[in-house]
Amino acid sequence: MREGKRLAVTPLLLCAAAVGVVVWAHKGADVSELGVLATGKLALRVREHLALCAVSTALAVAVAVPAGVAATRPGLRRLAPPLLFVANVGQSVPTIAVLALAFSVTGIGFRTAVIGLWAYSLLPVLRNTVAGLAGVDPAVVEAARGMGMSRAQVLRRVEFPLAWPVVVAGIRTAAVVNVGTAALATFVGAGGLGALITVGLDNQRDRILYTGAALTALLALAVDWAIAALAELGRSRR
Amino acid sequence: MIRYEAVTKRYGDGPPALDGLTLEVPAGETCVLVGPSGGGKTTALKMVNRLVEPTSGRVLIDGRDVASTDPVILRRGIGYVIQQVGLFPHLDVAANVATVPKLLGWDRDRIEARVDELLDLVGLEPGTYRHRRPEELSGGQRQRVGVARALAADPPILLMDEPFGAVDPVTRARLQDEFLRVQRTLRRTVVLVTHDIDEALRLGDRLAVLATGGRLEQYATPAEVLARPATAFVADFVGAGRTLRRLDLLTVADALVPGRTTGGGPSVAPAATLADAMAALLTSDGPSVPVVDGGSVLGEVTLDSIRAALRESQVDVEVDVEVDT
Repeated sequence: MREGKRLAVTPLLLCAAAVGVVVWAHKGADVSELGVLATGKLALRVREHLALCAVSTALAVAVAVPAGVAATRPGLRRLAPPLLFVANVGQSVPTIAVLALAFSVTGIGFRTAVIGLWAYSLLPVLRNTVAGLAGVDPAVVEAARGMGMSRAQVLRRVEFPLAWPVVVAGIRTAAVVNVGTAALATFVGAGGLGALITVGLDNQRDRILYTGAALTALLALAVDWAIAALAELGRSRR
Repeated sequence: MIRYEAVTKRYGDGPPALDGLTLEVPAGETCVLVGPSGGGKTTALKMVNRLVEPTSGRVLIDGRDVASTDPVILRRGIGYVIQQVGLFPHLDVAANVATVPKLLGWDRDRIEARVDELLDLVGLEPGTYRHRRPEELSGGQRQRVGVARALAADPPILLMDEPFGAVDPVTRARLQDEFLRVQRTLRRTVVLVTHDIDEALRLGDRLAVLATGGRLEQYATPAEVLARPATAFVADFVGAGRTLRRLDLLTVADALVPGRTTGGGPSVAPAATLADAMAALLTSDGPSVPVVDGGSVLGEVTLDSIRAALRESQVDVEVDVEVDT
């Protein structure tokens, strides 16, 4: 219940903070600053940023969750170590390097940034899917099989619901980290709030720099909240 | 009826976990697989619902090789209870019990009625427990839900793997009593695994004593196992107290000396066990204990008559053996 209350209050606080940032950005800004910080421009940057995170996280979930399920099936358990190894590589190579590598293949733009972010967010989702499924009490699985559930039914009705909180935690980590990392997308011309930060740095306009940084931080908190709220909704509906 | 035909199981190249098991469990009886760990009891049990496949030999249910039935279909017709219970922690009691009926596609009213009926059967008041979560139940209550869940679709066969192993002794005794009560009315074909010889003697119509290496040492009624252990291993496993245990299986009526009684002090009913009579004898001052049924004296029990009853039951068993073979 306390969790529920926290979930209800958080969006109000985030909205208030966002309005505060915009008001501060506009107050006393000169014409060139206003050119970058106009409300419409800021909204565009936020949308770009969100699109990058949403698409890359969704793709990571679409690949890492099935891979995690596969790696925990009897007979395919051998797959788990190599899969985790690949995901670890994706995680430990610096994002900027992944972006540079992707840049050499797909050139400038949205697609390149998504590939970089996707590679970066595979690991938390995969690791948590494997951990969540491996953590299901084997006695529960045996009882389910012994009662005549097919393997698919055991997965859908027993294993996955029990692993769900851990899987969601992985998705949450991946998405929040992605919001931060997406600030680098500006280097491959994919826009996002990172553009404000680089413009601010290049032109020594602290107002622009701080606005970009603050909005990125608020967006990370908002994404964290949204996924927690979705997970809570999914749980209460079951 | 369940029949094992020369069933052997080997894991890898090691010694067999189960070695040429042949035995038959008649319909409606409880067969207890008992023995020390490493005797292949659980392996044998899991072959009935194909959680384990034999390396050689076959298992038949009503004359039909289980290997010829799709395991998923097969298992829905066989109740399965394990020591750790394995209740689904994300579902409430009712949903747990309803698992197999749901898999079988029963309609909702029928499932609900069945769940309540079963909770009543295992002594859990449906109004109180239907919507509890497994984590809110005691160990004994969980095990009851486990049994209710196994019985949900009315399977003719029930497999129980150390079903009362994880609860305290008092709860275990109560669950055993309830198992006997339920089994007297339902008459399922039960295969039960335990390493506890007392539990085996108490619950089984027949005992299959398995030694390390998966060898069947003896397959017989509890009385016969106690009176005439087939091998030194069985005698050792049953233990030094087996004569005393036999007193639990005989009643006062078996040792009754009809007529008048000279004894005073504590009396016993004809339906009481000879263990009770022995205890009464030990605490009484005289050499006999009166047998009283509803106020009228039927006769008495003496040390000699108890001795004779034990001897006689041993002879009975020998006769049984000859009839069997």
